[in-house]
Amino acid sequence: MGGDQEKSVIEKFLEDNVLFLGPDPEIMESHQMAPVSARETEAMAAFNNPDQVNLVRHKLQTACNESFDMVEQMGAAPGAKWGDLISGVWTAQGDLAMASMGGVLIFSVLTQHPVKFILKYWKDDPTVGIRPGDIFMHNDARYGNIHNTDQSLIIPVFHEGELICFTGAIVHEGENGACEPGGMPSAAESPFDEGLKMSPFKVGENYEFRRDIMTFLQNSVREPKLQLEGMKSKLFAAMRMESRVRDAIEEYGVQAVIATLRKTLLDTEQETRRRLSTWPDGIVRTNLFADGTLRENCLIKIRCELEKRGDELIIDFRGSSPEFLNRANNTVLASLKGMLAQEFLSFVWPDLPRNQAVFAPIKLRTDKRSALHCSPDAPNAQSMMTFFPSFTAVQIAVPKFLYSAGHRATDVIAGWYNMIVTFIYGGVNQYGELVGNVCADLNGMGGAARWNRDGEHSIAPIFAPMADIGEQELIEEEVPLIKIVPHRLMRDANGFGKFRGGHGYQQIATMKDSSMWGFMCCSIGSKFPTTMGIFGGYAPGCYPLCKVRGVNVFEEMEDNRDLLRFTVEEIMNEQPFPGGRYTTHHMGLQLEFAQPGELYMITQGSGGGYGDVLEREPEAVAREYLDELISMNTVNNIYHVVLDAESGAVDQAATAARRQAERDKRKRLGKPYKEFVKSWETEHPPEHLPYYGSWKDKALIYRGSRHDTCPADAIVPVMMRDPKDVRIEQLEAELTALRAQGKG
Amino acid sequence: MRRVSVDIGGTFTDCFLAYDGKYIEAKALTTHHNLASGFMEALGNACGELALSVRDVLSTVDAVRYATTLGTNALIERNGPRVGLVTTAGFESSVPLMRARGYGDGLGHAEQTDLPGADRPKPLVPIPMIVGIRERIDYKGTVCLSVDDEDVRRQVRKLVDQGCQAFVVALVNAVVNPAHEKEIERIILSEYPTHVLGGLPIVLSHRVAGRKAEYSRTMSAVLDAYLHDQMYHGMSTLEVALRQNGYARPMLLVHNTSGMAQLNSTHSLQTIHSGPVAGLEATGYLAGQFKEPNVIATDMGGTSFDIGLVTADGVKFYDFNPVIDRWLVSTPMTYLHTLGAGGGSIARYDRLWGAVEVGPESAGSDPGPACYSRGGKLPTTTDANLVLGYLDENNYAGGTIKLNRRRAERAIEEYVAKPAGLSLIDAAKAIKRKVDANMASAIFKEVAVKGYNPKNFVILSYGGGGPIHACGYASEIGVAKVLIPPFSSVFSALGAGNMNQLHIHEKSLYLMLYDATFRTVLSDYTVFNDTVAELEERGREDLIRQNVPLDRIRTRVELDMRYGNQLAQISVTSPIPRLTQPQDIITLLDRFSTNYAQRFGEGSQAPEAGVRINVIRVVSYVEHDKLTLTRSTASDPARPVARTERPCHFPQLVEPMMTPVYDHTAVTDGMSVPGPALIETPRTTYLVEPGWTLTMGLMGSAVMVKNA
Repeated sequence: MGGDQEKSVIEKFLEDNVLFLGPDPEIMESHQMAPVSARETEAMAAFNNPDQVNLVRHKLQTACNESFDMVEQMGAAPGAKWGDLISGVWTAQGDLAMASMGGVLIFSVLTQHPVKFILKYWKDDPTVGIRPGDIFMHNDARYGNIHNTDQSLIIPVFHEGELICFTGAIVHEGENGACEPGGMPSAAESPFDEGLKMSPFKVGENYEFRRDIMTFLQNSVREPKLQLEGMKSKLFAAMRMESRVRDAIEEYGVQAVIATLRKTLLDTEQETRRRLSTWPDGIVRTNLFADGTLRENCLIKIRCELEKRGDELIIDFRGSSPEFLNRANNTVLASLKGMLAQEFLSFVWPDLPRNQAVFAPIKLRTDKRSALHCSPDAPNAQSMMTFFPSFTAVQIAVPKFLYSAGHRATDVIAGWYNMIVTFIYGGVNQYGELVGNVCADLNGMGGAARWNRDGEHSIAPIFAPMADIGEQELIEEEVPLIKIVPHRLMRDANGFGKFRGGHGYQQIATMKDSSMWGFMCCSIGSKFPTTMGIFGGYAPGCYPLCKVRGVNVFEEMEDNRDLLRFTVEEIMNEQPFPGGRYTTHHMGLQLEFAQPGELYMITQGSGGGYGDVLEREPEAVAREYLDELISMNTVNNIYHVVLDAESGAVDQAATAARRQAERDKRKRLGKPYKEFVKSWETEHPPEHLPYYGSWKDKALIYRGSRHDTCPADAIVPVMMRDPKDVRIEQLEAELTALRAQGKG
Repeated sequence: MRRVSVDIGGTFTDCFLAYDGKYIEAKALTTHHNLASGFMEALGNACGELALSVRDVLSTVDAVRYATTLGTNALIERNGPRVGLVTTAGFESSVPLMRARGYGDGLGHAEQTDLPGADRPKPLVPIPMIVGIRERIDYKGTVCLSVDDEDVRRQVRKLVDQGCQAFVVALVNAVVNPAHEKEIERIILSEYPTHVLGGLPIVLSHRVAGRKAEYSRTMSAVLDAYLHDQMYHGMSTLEVALRQNGYARPMLLVHNTSGMAQLNSTHSLQTIHSGPVAGLEATGYLAGQFKEPNVIATDMGGTSFDIGLVTADGVKFYDFNPVIDRWLVSTPMTYLHTLGAGGGSIARYDRLWGAVEVGPESAGSDPGPACYSRGGKLPTTTDANLVLGYLDENNYAGGTIKLNRRRAERAIEEYVAKPAGLSLIDAAKAIKRKVDANMASAIFKEVAVKGYNPKNFVILSYGGGGPIHACGYASEIGVAKVLIPPFSSVFSALGAGNMNQLHIHEKSLYLMLYDATFRTVLSDYTVFNDTVAELEERGREDLIRQNVPLDRIRTRVELDMRYGNQLAQISVTSPIPRLTQPQDIITLLDRFSTNYAQRFGEGSQAPEAGVRINVIRVVSYVEHDKLTLTRSTASDPARPVARTERPCHFPQLVEPMMTPVYDHTAVTDGMSVPGPALIETPRTTYLVEPGWTLTMGLMGSAVMVKNA
């Protein structure tokens, strides 16, 4: 047997004896579209009038929007109700060609992977196959999509025996049977703590779910009702879209539909390249840090370098933090790409169509097994904790290109607030049902300051326009979560600047009428800001999770109304309730059961500021002071404005003098750049900081201490200690010391 | 029947007069500075046709009905009163934050998706005019924190000190338990009795909207307070004018709920879009009279295109959270979809797709299309229609606007034809086709999303621009019949003349019909029956206040139902006014299931997840006499004589066709005109496209049918 023949036999053996079909790196690491097929070439040649293609596109777009409305209406998950979903049409080769105009943009670039998996592995598998009426589902982020709380459903569309395309929808369903309720467990220490692990699989035939599979899925989650409603809503929306595709085929012919889907992708890529080519060539670098894993405080580096060359953009994240093998904050590469696409689709070119071709001219460089390109062994339920700061790293680099760009589709901005400051809940509601999900308050992220005006207060999440923070009366009708303060603008929660970022809001929550109720939170940024200002603008402030335990606020309402306070600031500073335990924490809270009337308080961050605070109009400062959005301390010591505390009248002369004094002070503090670098730079990260990522050399990665490193091309994943063990150790040490003192 | 109905629109005031069996239509320009002037002029024109004086008519008519959007100028000009908002402590930022998404409410898709460019509208209630009261009621209506008299007085004084001219009191869960809102009203009245400061209006949120959701209910109350003054000033001016001309009865105002009421029973919020809703109401009536069970109403004006639906199953479509200007409110408004498409929609070459695109930007009426010669340089739908030969440059809008063909050609050449590499005519054809396709898509989605097949409908086309495009957009969605209604140019006014006096009261509740967790079916009917009784009583009070005899009052019970925790609330008309037995529950469940399947597809129902009633709504009304609209059965083989002919270009044909042009008076009842043809009226032009035939009916109605 010759060498080639031997190789072939071995390959055949290996192909036939696969243990299981895990995530396929060939599919997962590519965001490029499949090559144009012969069938598509033929269709585009036959149906090539742009105005005709536009009419078909319009029809299919209407279908996407119609099915989006259906999912939003029929879905029971809070995420579905505020638009955390997308519906779309994929080509026969699995590329997302058209998506609903509403919903979460991040899905635009990362939904093709499960479809391509189905095509690669199940299409020709005799035990599975793809036939008309088949229903496929998926939720495991290692096979595509953002995180396991998102469930996708797709169905194939055939015409006279030929696979034409797929239709379907993806929804943030929430509860998925993970180790904590609500679908995004920050306590997960392995992928197997993250609940349902649906690799792409067939769940029904002839447009009907298999009852045994439905039962299995319902049996695997805390909210079987939600699972049922979510699956039904997606199926009927996909079916509605399928019938619209059939209508288009009937009216324009099958060639028209195939040609339109592919032409849409090609045209989009071409337009994106055209726009990129108007940016100046060059490199812009940014560094950002995540300040924790949601279980412990540490510094997780996001190193980002943008290089624009011709009609391409290269985003280089090499040198960023290693992956955390027992923490949920790792990002699957595909999720990272999805989030970055968001920057371009929402914040740079919001007028572009929603499909994956927008990201085609962009290349990514990452270190394997880094926190931004994690292995399948690492949990990823809270990947937002690393891919949101990565998004921001790109967002604050882009304005440097846009200033000289030949084409700008919207305003140039500083960093949008980027954290999901909200409560996740789980427990028994007032009707005796077991529930677990997330509140929509995360949608109120503060808008960034703009080049010519302030940012808007708590306006939209970074991942979706027109998202809703909901209404408290509707929330407490369904779950026993009472917000004493639902969304109240927080004084001084602001990225200051010539133009300031939009404020964030504070929330004070408690529970009532439940036998068992727990809260969780999943945000970083309590110590180091997650977003930044630009061109001199400030980053927003950092806020902790605050708690008052050992108090029942409803009893205080009855008996001690004078003690009531309605801001976090007053409650924590004045500590009005005798006997209460007042504590502050980072905003990574694992499920904690609360007693009725205990208070949990969090604060949404603000957008970053733009420009120098000394250039802000004093009258704008006065207006904000009168609106109680900023304190006199901020007026005096940040903006250096002198005004009358009662009337808000600005003393122009005194303000000018004060600002001049501040400018003089800056000059005195200034140093030549080289001198500054010399005094500032160190060889290693500070000894006291648990630091992850590169320091000076992107090829060398620190693993939590200056003494523990690994090469970037051979990253050794990090294992964190259980915070409870750490705490026990600390307490035991204290005990030992006390005992020693006692003995002494 | 002697009845005057008037619809005041942005440009024209339309009048429809029914007088002893005669139906008269008339128009006048809307006089924004004083609506009564335009009103009286339109009425005068109608009376002139009967050779009667306005006084003769007004002193003998049974009713004057009036459809107009009142007070919205105050919104546009932001010159309403300084409103002070009293809300629950901790909820002070709900209104400024507008549920986050509020920045995009009332805007188009492009503005909604542009987050860096997003700006909230200038607030109606600035932050310093919002105060929080220490009180709290929970979802069940239980008082957690009672109202403190001194706290309220302190906060209210703060508002008055800052120049408050109207109070809105909007407290959390007030629709479940309004006690605290009423208590605060009492305290304000005791602090500021009407003899002090001239009596500041106090609007309580639970009286304006009966649904849960504190932000949208608060905004409903804020808008009501904000528009209140302007509405009453406008109405009193009109009432004085009517009284001076001999009218002694109360005027009836058309509501956007498809009903009407006297001024003393009308919230300003209920008048928003009342004109278009009256048009839809007329469509419903016409559908019955003409025996057309499924009708899509389309009203194309200069800047907007309204779409409404009348269906054989009688399902009533509401918009419970309409957006007024930029504000999301809570009120059960009859559903109409408005698309930003009209004669003024701007055409352009879209580099991305290499194709011609139209809208959503509009040149409106000022500067208007390029051919208006009013400074507009961009090509519009009207410019394309002129270039294609559909419009007569010397006889547009009854000759009131002279069109300039050369300007239209130049605009299309420069902005569409050259960049797209098309000839002038091909570019104009592409514009026409895209306009029709855009409207067709919007119609399709509106019909399909409700679960109906558009091919089972006929299209009713009215408004100035509709009849030129009706064949086009009907073809695009596969509809083969287009109706042009009688008195099409004043169709909404006609609708106003045909409405019932009607009031809607509704209440949010959490009533499980089927609890899936515990597998129980509702057995205690008290809450349902008591709620219906309470809402019926409120409706009765409204109508009795307007001197309606008790025995003429009818009621209809409607329920908003949902499966599990879905967002979708489907309205079900309950055949049962009170629950008395288990079978009643099953009847409601079946009816809900049928309506749900109609909308989302058979099999999509999810009763396994539980079924609950979220809102009970009682419609209380008194029926009024109806107009008689007769469908012609005449057939006249005679061919009308064309006034002239001109070449027209059609998107589906390569070569132009010589097209006869008829004066509408030449085409009489029963006459048929094959396409291509143009029929010109003083207010619009009917385009009968090749392959279609128009047959004229009575009272200016017509039907266009696609040839088999």
